[in-house]
Amino acid sequence: MSKPTFVYVTYIASTPEKVFKALTDTEATAKFWFGNAVTSDWKVGSPVTFHREGKLILSGKVIEHDASRRLSYTFTPHHEPHNGSDTSRVVMDLEQQKGQVKLTVTHDGFAPDSTVFAGISNGWPLVLSNLKSYLETGTTPLYAPWYEEAAQRATAEA
Amino acid sequence: MSKPSFVYVTYIRSSADKVWSALTSPEYTAKTWFGTHHETDWQAGSPWRLVFPDGRVADSGEIVEIDRPRRLVLKWLNEKPELKAEGWSRCTIEIEPVADDAVKLTVTHQLDGEGTKFIAAVSGGWPRILSNVKSLLETGELVLKEKVS
Repeated sequence: MSKPTFVYVTYIASTPEKVFKALTDTEATAKFWFGNAVTSDWKVGSPVTFHREGKLILSGKVIEHDASRRLSYTFTPHHEPHNGSDTSRVVMDLEQQKGQVKLTVTHDGFAPDSTVFAGISNGWPLVLSNLKSYLETGTTPLYAPWYEEAAQRATAEA
Repeated sequence: MSKPSFVYVTYIRSSADKVWSALTSPEYTAKTWFGTHHETDWQAGSPWRLVFPDGRVADSGEIVEIDRPRRLVLKWLNEKPELKAEGWSRCTIEIEPVADDAVKLTVTHQLDGEGTKFIAAVSGGWPRILSNVKSLLETGELVLKEKVS
């Protein structure tokens, strides 16, 4: 059986600079990533952390940082039941196309017995739908109490 | 082994009725679906075609299941020779309210037989169409004003 790869493409009426900033900015991620605020100095090899309400949710290390073009980091979930044991890889590619940005998120490198894939397959469409709304409508997008329920369901099914 | 398939999920701040209209009515599809419109009477068992503005047929098939505004299942054949050669597919569109003002839209496109070209084609097409639907419903503007590669 081949290892799973999750790929998601979305088109955003914005600029690569704005999309890249939103993906790497603490305040912006807190808004569209359902409270998960990212912190990093974005140097290759540096740590990346996502905290929600003071709790460590995700951690990783910067693999690649090519401003407004490509961002890649390792991805280790710390919430139940993963607890920091199951590391995979995220690559975000940004491409300017006329008045929009094509954003491609590729998530792979899962361990053979990983239970993270089901959760991220549910999570990325939520996060990236919100990112698109956030950049296009300029408001804090969907309040999503159902996000955590959906994440829990995905974990339960995994 | 499972059949070749493509799944896309997007969340839209809108109602199920509006998302349904955006995917089915000619006024919307002319904008979001690169000028095409559906030709069908929207009854289960009826023929269905997706037609370009110049009259060329993009895709054809049949309405398998319709439950407005929640679920639409289409038997689907692309008319491009290299894609037609891979045979029939099935497209399932599901619209599920997830909050007072938001819906989850899931498009699943599965090939009946084997092949890679058709799934590659729809993997390119659906994100463009559905990005447009989301933008149009949330902002009144399209994200992709013209077709790009």
